Amino acid sequence: MVDQVALRLHHPSLQRDAQKVHQQLKKVMRTFGRQCRGQHRTLVQWVRQTERQLLEVGQSVGPLALCAALHLQEDSSLENHQQQRLQAHLRQAAQHYEQIEQQSRRLIHGHPLPHAKIVNPYDRTITPIVKGKSNAPVQFGKKPGIIAEMATGFILGLHLPPGNPDDASYVPPLIEAVDAAIKAIVHPGKPKLKIQSLAGDLAFRPASVRDPLHARGILTQGIPQTTDPLPRTVTPQQVRAVQRSMSFPHIPSAHQVQVATACGYSRPFVESLITQLACRGGTHLKYKGHRGAVIQVSTAILAHNAATLTRIQQNQLTQRAQRCRRWFRLKPSKPLENNNQKN
Amino acid sequence: MGIVRHLQHWLGGSGPALVVSDFVPDDHYLRQWADTFPWASMAAAVDRHLATHFPKETKRGRPSVSTRVLLTLEILKAELACSDEQICSRLRTDFAVMYACGLERVHADRHQSHFVLPEVLAQFRSRLDETLMAELLQIQSTAAMEEGLVSPSHLVVDTFPSEQGSQRVTDATTLYKAKKKS
Repeated sequence: MVDQVALRLHHPSLQRDAQKVHQQLKKVMRTFGRQCRGQHRTLVQWVRQTERQLLEVGQSVGPLALCAALHLQEDSSLENHQQQRLQAHLRQAAQHYEQIEQQSRRLIHGHPLPHAKIVNPYDRTITPIVKGKSNAPVQFGKKPGIIAEMATGFILGLHLPPGNPDDASYVPPLIEAVDAAIKAIVHPGKPKLKIQSLAGDLAFRPASVRDPLHARGILTQGIPQTTDPLPRTVTPQQVRAVQRSMSFPHIPSAHQVQVATACGYSRPFVESLITQLACRGGTHLKYKGHRGAVIQVSTAILAHNAATLTRIQQNQLTQRAQRCRRWFRLKPSKPLENNNQKN
Repeated sequence: MGIVRHLQHWLGGSGPALVVSDFVPDDHYLRQWADTFPWASMAAAVDRHLATHFPKETKRGRPSVSTRVLLTLEILKAELACSDEQICSRLRTDFAVMYACGLERVHADRHQSHFVLPEVLAQFRSRLDETLMAELLQIQSTAAMEEGLVSPSHLVVDTFPSEQGSQRVTDATTLYKAKKKS
């Protein structure tokens, strides 16, 4: 980066120094690659030795970036927005070195790393995702959260935070996204649309997640308190227990509790959603940075939603989806036409 | 050659005009897929965003490629699992893709190699951000609920891992993997 800035500034000495550092860094990495290739495996000793060399060579990156930034400020040939962009790149280059160096020192001395460790200097929001990987290589990436309709899998909201935070923290922003979509409806029909129940896995069990939802009258079905299998049908006693657990203005009817229980959390359903997003590139990020990840996952969701709407319009739904839609009072499109085809 | 390569044929092409919708069957998947989107409001949201964040400094110059075309190409990339080059190439030859992009008529001109260059699509993508994408998703959800196709009454929430696809073997990643193995 520094050598590119120096090239733009027409500063030969700075450019020469930056290119020299760049060449040295490349040389260290090339040696490292050769050593590992010979062994057919990665040795911790080699990694740490190479890391020390990289950090030694990279020491001059900070001063060079500072020098380039000073020259950039003095230069008047570049336009304002170009200067700002290059300054931002230089700042990023200098900051990354400091953070990687700090992390490396802590690792060598055997101290535990903080939660958000840097695994890619170009995108600090990438973290190891250990979720669901008890016996497989850990993925480096991001953890998007989605909120979807239970019947057809139409995705109503996406939340993609930087790093790898707790799953429970995904609920409030996702609920806000659905609320915003409901609020934007120009001609609300009758009955008025609102969230009646929310299903999730064990990660969404904490009372801090469930209590605000109960206060709003949202049933938290499918968020079990134990590891017992979830019931698909409820007894009258269970209905009364649920009704007693909710506060006065939002006591759900028995029918609402029954429907919510029947639509409870289903892992195969969630897996099918993830697979459909994976087919559209939502689980294999190629765009750079956090913004790129949001764009890629969002476009995958938009495409998935359009495909879902096509299936709804063509009435190409599973029996489970059709049953859920009947419970939700959603009629199939063109019912007469469908009947004619059957008859 | 530079500006000529960027020219869109529908601004002033030669040859007979073809009606795109005549070539795409009613039950074609992409036709049905494209018809579900509220394109007008989505394109308007993108235009608003671009006007706010990237205002035009001058009114001179050639009109830009339609927002609708670029937005559709970006979403079609995900749907058809294409690269920038592949989707731009398909736009030139595939009538279903043209229909999805909202092109009504095209001129039969075999000398025109591109409708949209991959570089233009990459430039458009660099101007999108998180807020805009959330707004687009919200517009699509609102439209679907308004038509009575989906209901927000019973929802499911979950997370899934998205792997970094273009991850390079850097010292940091190798170090992490080595630490896991040892």
